[in-house]
Amino acid sequence: MMSTLGDGPLQDYEVPAGSRDELIGADGAPLPHAAKLLAALGRLGPERLEAAGRRRDTIFMQQGITFEVPTGDGERRDRAWPLDLVPRVLTAAEWTAIKRGLAQRIRALNAFVDDVYHAHEIVRAGIVPWSLVVSRPQFARPVHGVRPPGGVYCHVSGCDLVRGGDGRWRVLEDNVRTPSGISYVIENRLAMTRLMPELFEGQRIRAVDHYPSLLLDALRAVAPGVDGEATVVLWTPGPMNSAYFEHAFLARQMGIELVEAGDLVVRDAVCYMRTTSGLQRVHTIYRRLDDDFIDPLEFRPDSLLGVPGLVRAYRAGTVAIANAIGTGVADDKAVYHYVPEMIRFYLSEEPILENVPTYLLTDARLRKHVLERLDELVIKPTSESGGKGVFIGPQADAAQREHQTRLIEEQPERFIAQELVHLSTVPTEAGDGRLAPRHVDLRPFAVFGEEIRIVPGGLTRVALSPGSMIVNSSQGGGSKDTWVLDDGESVDLAPGTLPAQRPPRLPDVRYGGWHGQAQQQQQ
Amino acid sequence: MLARIAHELFWLGRDLTRAEHTARTLDGVFHADIAGAPGERSISLSWDAVLTIIGGKPPIPGEDALEVATSVEARPLGRDETARLLTVDTDSQASIVSCVDRARERGRILRDVISTEMWEALNSFYLALGRYDLAAAMQTGPYSVYHEVKERCALFWGLVDRTMLRDDGRAFLEAGGRIEQADMMLRMLLVTVPGASAHDGHEAEAIALLHAVGGAQAYRRAVRDAPTVVPVVRFLLYDGSYPGSVASSVAALRDALSDADAQPRTSPPVLRLERLIAELELQRRTPEASAALDGILGRVQGELALIDRDIGDRYFAIAALAAIHL
Repeated sequence: MMSTLGDGPLQDYEVPAGSRDELIGADGAPLPHAAKLLAALGRLGPERLEAAGRRRDTIFMQQGITFEVPTGDGERRDRAWPLDLVPRVLTAAEWTAIKRGLAQRIRALNAFVDDVYHAHEIVRAGIVPWSLVVSRPQFARPVHGVRPPGGVYCHVSGCDLVRGGDGRWRVLEDNVRTPSGISYVIENRLAMTRLMPELFEGQRIRAVDHYPSLLLDALRAVAPGVDGEATVVLWTPGPMNSAYFEHAFLARQMGIELVEAGDLVVRDAVCYMRTTSGLQRVHTIYRRLDDDFIDPLEFRPDSLLGVPGLVRAYRAGTVAIANAIGTGVADDKAVYHYVPEMIRFYLSEEPILENVPTYLLTDARLRKHVLERLDELVIKPTSESGGKGVFIGPQADAAQREHQTRLIEEQPERFIAQELVHLSTVPTEAGDGRLAPRHVDLRPFAVFGEEIRIVPGGLTRVALSPGSMIVNSSQGGGSKDTWVLDDGESVDLAPGTLPAQRPPRLPDVRYGGWHGQAQQQQQ
Repeated sequence: MLARIAHELFWLGRDLTRAEHTARTLDGVFHADIAGAPGERSISLSWDAVLTIIGGKPPIPGEDALEVATSVEARPLGRDETARLLTVDTDSQASIVSCVDRARERGRILRDVISTEMWEALNSFYLALGRYDLAAAMQTGPYSVYHEVKERCALFWGLVDRTMLRDDGRAFLEAGGRIEQADMMLRMLLVTVPGASAHDGHEAEAIALLHAVGGAQAYRRAVRDAPTVVPVVRFLLYDGSYPGSVASSVAALRDALSDADAQPRTSPPVLRLERLIAELELQRRTPEASAALDGILGRVQGELALIDRDIGDRYFAIAALAAIHL
């Protein structure tokens, strides 16, 4: 389809077959909720868009918001964070549905984790096989029977959502271990208000910068009984970690200590940090490393990043760990298949957000069916994250298909198959200030303390090369600011309804000068 | 030292601090304006408010001073007008450009007193603002302009630290910077928190206020309470560990004047400052008193105006006399 906007920024805008565009309708005209944004982009013109792109790179380099990319000669080089300057716009109604669906899903996942380490009700009901649960590498035997304060395991989660050609939102993946990206959501918004203030003109967009407050409240809420203030720390694997920027960002925004393993010590089943005034008790640890590494006495004995005895302190209930140990069992790709059933089982509700159709390959009949359709499906290894080892049928050649078939036949339990989703597109700056459709996904971030709170929008990742559906930033993906419009029921949009407060009168500002006349004679 | 020189140094400090504070406020309000959520407003960071804080006067057709007051009543200025008036308008005394102009002119007068590096920092600041296509920069994104202003001011104060002799002159320069900081912070609080005690509302607005004074991160590290109006105002007023707070500025002002004054024990401004510092400390230690934040803000501002007058009387009046008779 061709745009009707003539020689505007949308000239030759053509949405790939099978996908739907989120801002441009089938007739080539902007959808109602995006009309203001696209009009503002039209007024801006390609040159100013390009110029803003250059300023963006300068600002990001200056602020150190970068990521490393390998260059041809094996070196690694810092590149400015690739923020696309065209925001993605969601309506309030759309967002409300997503938000409810996510909250529902997170409650079910949390109930599942609790069940796995306690009563096994879902197993006894015959819904999830126990053999599948215990064979997950993330299943954590050492925490069997441990229930954290408030029964909350998944304090922080980020589910990946995609929107198919039919316009429906589906969950592609659950992340309830250490999802990252929230710092980019906040930095993206800040950068957009600085670089492109004119786009915000005449619209109300829900704020995102309260996330650190939400998180800190949740982390304090789960601290084990303390008389005074709970001490919360953020535990990073260290400055060499690829997400260290985010760890430092969150610690800074929350005003808490950013600790490494060497800063923490467990004495008599109580966790402390080493400070200049001696050992100081730690109540809540927001950890940004996997279970495997946190305690060499219970998990991987070769972990140099762990704190010996931490799991003992955790079991004794003297320290809260977020996310709780063992949550990884809920974001395994084979377990993902069962999440809709979990929602029905634990909450007696129908899932609001659907799964992408997924096939477990342990079933011989399904496996045969999948192997026949290998050129249409996506194959993912279970228990992996970050897009590692993903096989995309339509983009693979015969040799790759053969290789994948062999892998599946050797270890069918290691893989799942998924239908390919034709990701929705959003207009994206294509290099010369002109806009072209690019595929996107969405990762909203939720915090579960006393209740589930979800930051409006989330991280939109965008594949920057034409037609590509791979949005990972390590593979040429970028990101977008994600707007949730404040056009919802409860919000009064009419301008001027705010009580016009007249500022109080203040004494005049003084200016220091009293020798004006003499100056003239000096000349 | 010469009273005239001391006066110039004092006002050099004030002009630069005012430029920096203006840049921070405008940047903060720009951001709050764009990204802010509507809703219950207990802190009003509006464009109207900014004009009052910085003390800018809208341009008026006639030169009659009486008309100023009436035209303010008549028509509130919008975002673009206010930002231009307070940033690039050379006719407006309150604009950043005017502040820097004045500071640089004082620096030129004081070239023998201040270090060469300080003078060069001032001069290149002035030249940089002239080189910029400010009108265009304001259109595409004023952030870069305000960023530059903040950096240049910080550079100047850094050079003061590294290169200026710790003599009386330095003390008056410092005193000017500190009294301006305290004054601007008070004006900011007085305008943005009318009736802070009334309701302890929205977090986003309190965070916006912290950003507009450049204290968001410091608050997070120093205070455990969620950033709502009362704890934020108390932090900006009383917290001695935050360099921008009124308490810090006033204490530094006292130190600077004590250094410069031959007999600080009989100096009216120093004595007044001692009393104000004690009062702020008392308020800090009695959290119940936060019920009446309004009254305290007004009282502190009144006291600071008296200190300002005392400083003028004690150190500069003798030179002003000569200026009048010339």
